Amino acid sequence: MLVTYIEAIRQAMDEEMERDGNVLLMGEDVGVLGGAFKASVGLQEKHGPDRVVDMPISESLIVGAGIGLAVQGMRPILEMQFIDFISCGFDQIVNTAATLRYRHGGQTACPIVIRGPSGGGVHGGLYHSQNPEAWFCHVPGLKVVAPATAYDAKGLLKAAIRDDDPVIYFEHKFLYRRIKEEIPAEEFVVPIGKAALRKEGRDLTVITYGSPVHAVMKAARDMAAEVDIEVIDLRTLLPIDWATVKGSVRKTGKALIVHEARLTGGIGGEVAARIAQECFEDLDGPVMRLGSRDVHTPFAPSMEEYVLPNQEKITEAIRKLAAY
Amino acid sequence: MLVDVVMPQLGESVVEGVVVKWLVEVGELVAKDQPLLEISTDKVDAEIPSPTAGRVAQILAKPGETIPIQGVLAKIETDQGVVVPAPTAAPRWDEETEGFPGHMARKTEPPIPAPPRVEPSAPAPPPPPEAGRVRITPVVARMAAEHGLDLSRIPGTGIDGRVTRKDVEEYLASGQAAAAAPAEARPGPPPAPAKAPAAPPRKAARAPKAALAEGDRVVPWTPIRKKIAEHMVRSKHTSPHVHIFAEVDMHRVALLRANAKKEGMNFTYLPYVIQASAKALRELPAMNATVDDESTILRKDIHISVAVDTEKGLLVPVLRHADRISLKEISAAMDDFGARAKAGKISPDELSGGTFSITNPGSKGNLFGTPIINQPQVGILRLGQVVKRPVVIDVAGEDSIVIRPMMFLCCAYDHRVIDGVAGNGFLYRVREILEAGEFS
Repeated sequence: MLVTYIEAIRQAMDEEMERDGNVLLMGEDVGVLGGAFKASVGLQEKHGPDRVVDMPISESLIVGAGIGLAVQGMRPILEMQFIDFISCGFDQIVNTAATLRYRHGGQTACPIVIRGPSGGGVHGGLYHSQNPEAWFCHVPGLKVVAPATAYDAKGLLKAAIRDDDPVIYFEHKFLYRRIKEEIPAEEFVVPIGKAALRKEGRDLTVITYGSPVHAVMKAARDMAAEVDIEVIDLRTLLPIDWATVKGSVRKTGKALIVHEARLTGGIGGEVAARIAQECFEDLDGPVMRLGSRDVHTPFAPSMEEYVLPNQEKITEAIRKLAAY
Repeated sequence: MLVDVVMPQLGESVVEGVVVKWLVEVGELVAKDQPLLEISTDKVDAEIPSPTAGRVAQILAKPGETIPIQGVLAKIETDQGVVVPAPTAAPRWDEETEGFPGHMARKTEPPIPAPPRVEPSAPAPPPPPEAGRVRITPVVARMAAEHGLDLSRIPGTGIDGRVTRKDVEEYLASGQAAAAAPAEARPGPPPAPAKAPAAPPRKAARAPKAALAEGDRVVPWTPIRKKIAEHMVRSKHTSPHVHIFAEVDMHRVALLRANAKKEGMNFTYLPYVIQASAKALRELPAMNATVDDESTILRKDIHISVAVDTEKGLLVPVLRHADRISLKEISAAMDDFGARAKAGKISPDELSGGTFSITNPGSKGNLFGTPIINQPQVGILRLGQVVKRPVVIDVAGEDSIVIRPMMFLCCAYDHRVIDGVAGNGFLYRVREILEAGEFS
């Protein structure tokens, strides 16, 4: 069936709530309104106000309540209206949810999913455009995913809901209705921790995730005559599928990491460091990164274009690395 | 002397700048770093400082004029008679780390004095040679060490002539590396630009892990042995070999040899097989080819690589235009290759460019063997021992048993490229030519 990225998210929640009576959705405006972006439209009508719960504007409360429910055997999905606001629930996530299993010697788990719209390119300004995934990749006990396709959006959300550990699920709002994709009508799950090889190539590897996957794929097609690019979509950022990354870089000898999050302290730094350490003798060029400039995402479209990685910058970076 | 003032590159994508205003006049004395003019580019506006102290001799660009980067804007006459090198390039500003130079430069206040710089205790690196130094990436360094390569012999296609992994792979695939080994002693023409560094020291051969008993002798691989080993493994790994055999009646060839001997020419069987193969390749050209990536290159000329055994290892010089030369010439070339290979005097040029290979293990070559394709070629022919054998032939319509000098020919072809019909057709034709004695 042909679905948008956001519809894939809605379907995943709907199907999981149908499958498992312990799954519930909590967040700001998720019930009556059906979510600020309409990701949960119709779910309250179908599953009732006890399972699709409108919450006060307090992310700390949403996460905290979710952790309590999870400890008691529920599987709450906690929506951040914009992922930018996740920082209000930060302490609950990193100090409570992420440490729960450890603190209890493995005797309890914390099966929550925190999901919300991330990313820029939609002229949302600095409070509605952030990509804070790197903050959470620093925290053991969490899992972090960032799907780029409707198929992965659905499959990874289902996997996240069924996972016994807290999963932070970054959905990219730029892709919500721009992606329309044929996905199977029957049940499927995308495993957490497994990258997707989007395109095979010999000359260089581009490692990416989220929204830039599409720009990188376009570059790979457009530049096919000059350079044969291998594209890896990480999909899961914690834990990263190192086997896929290393296998590819060992083959091509060149790696470029592209993400929309800011460069400094971003996932790209971790990937680059690990490549430099473990693939050193296979490298035929500097490991390169492309991310947002180290500034807040501006509101003005022209400025946003200047800050975010775009088609042109991706092409330029690939060309530079290919020529090296 | 005159020093040029040039349009600097302000930002990576900037290709030109516009002269806004001159701050000095012709004849004026200027100090080093004194602003000479204001320019404007797509990215920034900036003042251009004087590269040297002196007198403004010429102003070559008028306000409003667009000048490409490195274009000359003015000339400054220095009072020194010595040659002052022009600055190689104006500093490149990195907007992200340096701020916007134009903005800073426009300020009228005296510049903030730079904080003192601590000189590094290590000696400064030598200045880069003009033509650019050769940069080596980790993978290239590793490959060079593994294969014992002299990187200065490999033409680089990367930025500034850097030798890329692909360059090394192509060099290895071309077989030039094997050629380079025996030629090391002689000064060969270095293809790399400018002064290349000496070859990286070769890794000492790894000590064997196997247990050694008294009297065992460890023979570390020489570079040429490593090269051969690498080539053989790669060939087996790359090409699905199909081996086909033909049993050839060398009766006619033996008669021709005897006739030649009467005329004072001592031919072995090899020149006949070479000529027969060249003729068959001309008629059925599918096997006269090389593989390049995912393409097959059908070669117009027939250049046959002929395996020659030497003390150091196998060498494979190339007999050019094997289809155009006489048996006598082929025979002479074989003698020449043999003698020079033994003396280590085959030049690298003679080892590359083959389009098909023939290997003749000689009189002790046994019944037959299955040769390994000489990459990137697609076929190879191996001669077996010629032995007299009773065979059944047709004599005036009757089956008769006669004694004939018989030889097994084994042909290996690369099944990626050559299918059964083409492979078998070729070998069958070689046999026909040999049995019919169709030689020139």
